[in-house]
Amino acid sequence: MTKAVRSKFWHSDGRRLSGLSTLLLLLPFFAVIAFVFIYPIAQLLLISFLEPHPTLDNYARVVDNPVHARVLMRTLWTAALVTALSAVLGFPVAHYMSRTKGALAALVAVCVILPLWSSVLVRTAAWSFLLQRNGLINSALMALGLTSQPFKLLYTQSAVVIAMTHVLLPFMILPIYGALRSIPNDYARAAAVLGATRLRTFLEVILPLSLPGVVSGSLLVFLTALGFFITPALLGSPQEMMISTLVSKQIREILDWPFAAALVGVLTVFVTLLAIVFSKTLRFDRLMGSAS
Amino acid sequence: MSKKTWKRTSALLALASALSVTLPAAAQKLEDQLVIATTGGLMGNTLAKYFYEPFNKARNVEVVPVAIEVPDQWARAKAMQRTGKMEFDIVTATGPDLVGRTDMLEKIDCAKLPSVQKFGVSDACQPYGVARTTGGMLITYNTETFKAKAPKTWADFWDVKQFPGPRGLPDTGDSDWWVPVAALLADGVKADQLFPLDLNRAYKKLDEIRPNVSVWWKTGDQVQQIMRSREVVMAMSYSGRALAVVKEGVPVAMSWDQAIRDTGYMAVLKGAPDLNAAMAYLDFFYASSDAHVPFMRAVNYATASKSAIELMKPEERNLYATSPENYEKLVKPDFAWIGEHRSELRERWTAWLTR
Repeated sequence: MTKAVRSKFWHSDGRRLSGLSTLLLLLPFFAVIAFVFIYPIAQLLLISFLEPHPTLDNYARVVDNPVHARVLMRTLWTAALVTALSAVLGFPVAHYMSRTKGALAALVAVCVILPLWSSVLVRTAAWSFLLQRNGLINSALMALGLTSQPFKLLYTQSAVVIAMTHVLLPFMILPIYGALRSIPNDYARAAAVLGATRLRTFLEVILPLSLPGVVSGSLLVFLTALGFFITPALLGSPQEMMISTLVSKQIREILDWPFAAALVGVLTVFVTLLAIVFSKTLRFDRLMGSAS
Repeated sequence: MSKKTWKRTSALLALASALSVTLPAAAQKLEDQLVIATTGGLMGNTLAKYFYEPFNKARNVEVVPVAIEVPDQWARAKAMQRTGKMEFDIVTATGPDLVGRTDMLEKIDCAKLPSVQKFGVSDACQPYGVARTTGGMLITYNTETFKAKAPKTWADFWDVKQFPGPRGLPDTGDSDWWVPVAALLADGVKADQLFPLDLNRAYKKLDEIRPNVSVWWKTGDQVQQIMRSREVVMAMSYSGRALAVVKEGVPVAMSWDQAIRDTGYMAVLKGAPDLNAAMAYLDFFYASSDAHVPFMRAVNYATASKSAIELMKPEERNLYATSPENYEKLVKPDFAWIGEHRSELRERWTAWLTR
């Protein structure tokens, strides 16, 4: 009797869980996700096909009006810029973190993680004070005599990209840090023994091995950036309007929910495709890593 | 003539009250509570003080205020309509909403609101809403920047040679027609010949000002903030928001010339659970004239009460849209036309703005 149960829920070695029990353990998680996430989104997407009557008109409208394509492209472009910028800024920090120990390491970690505890709204508002016409940056530039007229910094594409990068940077740093930490020190030492310079060691050993971290960090940052709402709304001008603002306009001001749902549908397709491409790349990297 | 009309009105009123006495008691009984959705903060608190609490005392109906931004309120109402369970009774509506969103609103029988008839201005009661507060979308400018000569009209707003500096325009609420209307006025169209709006002409004029617009503001707080921090030297602003900044002592002033009338209405949602109480409240709002003066001073907007504005001294009166002097200068929009052409107006606006 007990033996039968064991064979069902455990592997024959008696130590690992069987596929069935893994599935059972995961079931509550999937039930919650299905209920609070998949079901409402499916409901919303259904509206886009069924209202005002079963139709593809809502999707035709997305394609017909050039505004939507423009906003979608701008959203993708902004998200890409933010991703690239946070990778460039985040990698050195992650690298430094992986090399430091003790109190200093703790300090750097706190600096990276602490901003996550404050609200995005607060961080965005802080940027608007720094960047405004009579703000800290313009005042400093004028006091130093570098410019006589204040620059227009706030309500620009740069303001949006800078603030979004600031908000999303931890999501880039932490995965890269994780990847860098899991590279044994021996590899770098072995490369050095074989005569590689530090630069070459970095380019040919450390960088390729840390790529999975960079890819997953990029995926996190890019996908989060696509849905950003507060920062572009507060720091950008309408020219920087992102797709989520457009959806919110349809839902809140125009009350055209089927059309808003169609916009969400298009975005969902884009995001899913990108996620698939990204994860294929990730797996590819892993294969390369284990083969070499 | 007017005596005759008055007689007829009072006869009708008497008839109406006689009828209401004979109606079955159940129809007249008010519900226990009334849910009113409007913006929170100053507006919500002041309404509670001068109207919700007295209404509770007078009619024994508990008013439940819901603090919510106007667009969110419509989104919520839409969601309630979808699920079939209405939770709001009274919502805040704009002029075009009273034409364009009639599918969500309860029709109001003005004959059953005697106090609105008696104490409100002539157009206070509309088929789908009762006027609450009236202001104007007007030019607010920095008085230190423009010491010698102040901008007065929309043509001045467009004149960047005579009045240089960054400007602010709204990208919220009804900006899809406010801003084109201002552009047409700047281009020399007469206020009474604006409608139907010539959008091609408006957007051609808007292309001119665009490089000088540094802020497209999204909320009332934001337009106040950009005036205080001098992010802009002039802006199109809600008159009430501008007045609040003037009272703070910030060097700004308002020009009522060609201000676009902006009235907030109280409307009743179709299927409202407390329909009788809602209608009773709409009438109560105008029944207590005494409350209107302190209310107007607190929220910086005028109500449509005839008697209240007359209680104020002329210099104070002229800070409000409904003073006889300012009301004449206001541009009165054709809400029916706007309501009918709403989607066209919005699409044009979004397309231009995101370009």
